[in-house]
Amino acid sequence: MAWRWGLFFYMAAVTVAAFLYAPLARKLHEQTRIIYWHIPVAWVTVVAFVVAGWHSWRYLATRDLGEDARAAAAAELGLLFCVLATVSGSIFSKGMWGAYWNWDPRQTSIFFLLLIYAAYLTLRAAVEDPARRARLAAVYGLFAAAVTPLLIFVVPRLFFTLHPDPIVNAGGKLEMHPRMFQVFMAALGGFTVLFFWVYSLDVRIRLHQLRQDGVLPGAGKDRSA
Amino acid sequence: MSTWTAARAVFAKDVTTELRSRYALSATAVFALASLAVVSYAVGPFGGRPELLAAFLWTVLLYAASAGLAQAFLREVERRTWLTLRLVASPGAILLGKGAVNLVLLLATEALVVPLFLALFGASFRSLPGFVAVLLLASVGLSAAITIVSALLAQARAHGALVSALAFPLVVPVLMAAVAGTRRALVEPGVAPPELKVLAAYAGVVIGMGIVLAEHVLDD
Repeated sequence: MAWRWGLFFYMAAVTVAAFLYAPLARKLHEQTRIIYWHIPVAWVTVVAFVVAGWHSWRYLATRDLGEDARAAAAAELGLLFCVLATVSGSIFSKGMWGAYWNWDPRQTSIFFLLLIYAAYLTLRAAVEDPARRARLAAVYGLFAAAVTPLLIFVVPRLFFTLHPDPIVNAGGKLEMHPRMFQVFMAALGGFTVLFFWVYSLDVRIRLHQLRQDGVLPGAGKDRSA
Repeated sequence: MSTWTAARAVFAKDVTTELRSRYALSATAVFALASLAVVSYAVGPFGGRPELLAAFLWTVLLYAASAGLAQAFLREVERRTWLTLRLVASPGAILLGKGAVNLVLLLATEALVVPLFLALFGASFRSLPGFVAVLLLASVGLSAAITIVSALLAQARAHGALVSALAFPLVVPVLMAAVAGTRRALVEPGVAPPELKVLAAYAGVVIGMGIVLAEHVLDD
């Protein structure tokens, strides 16, 4: 319990530091603040995607519906963080470029990542049989995971982008003030821990439900997630 | 029976069936022609910019492909030939055979649509070989991805709008690279644009994943 309060105060401290400790970036002005939320939630979106892909692969290897529950939990949370990344990105876009949406290649990538998550969950909703649902969703999730690196890392480079360079840019150099970097890394760590905490809760609920339904053995042992 | 022999048999069976009914080819071609006519009519004589032309062409081809190519597996389910097909051929052979049929269907549709498109919009390519390379590689990627999605959905007993909903996010890299490559072929000479690498990588990834996951794609 104590570490959850610790996480709460840690995230609060990161928020304060983003406003009072980190300096503003030269060209971004007050929009600088949003990078401490926007990039970490976009990062968590990708982490959730990798977690969903890993458990999809595990499901196909083991046919354990618990793995499917873990993949589904990661995908649902990934969708939530993807929405947050899209919204925070469009607020940044409005501040910097005057429009919430302009189909910048980075905006296009995150929007289609959102569509992939939504399509994955739609496919899950379309199939009733749990084993078939798990298999079809796992296969779709793995295909999506295989093409997503092209969508995020390769295709945007074919087009002109207004989006600032990634934190570590193409030249491999870190172009960020040290105090900004400290706050940024702290936010990245905080959001990652937050994701895994909520994820573990969601997985426990799902596994408990599967045990109650008799799909998984060991009713009552729902703290093993 | 080896995978290649079985895939060739699936391909021959589907081509024979298609030549009898011409259902999938008509569905894809008529859909493409209708959307092309709508786009051309709506745009009127002002759509000559390469950025717009490339986007129009690939929008038409993408939706025609989603509408037509998805029939491959659904028809097996509707005709109740699905289980027999599964008994006589391995999942890899079925995917390869159906994917090849879909590629041929898409290329046939493109052979009809692209010249009409050029005529309707009064466009011409600075690099025809560059465009043909983009078209071929994009068609391989598109038909492979749509074949796999339609195989999944045929087992979900849920088709219709879901094909576009599920296939569209997966084929976005193809769409973006094909639009960029077509635009380049409209305005620049030369054959080796960077878009071709993306299209080749995409086709390789999807076909490779299809081979690795074939047993799981068709497991019923």
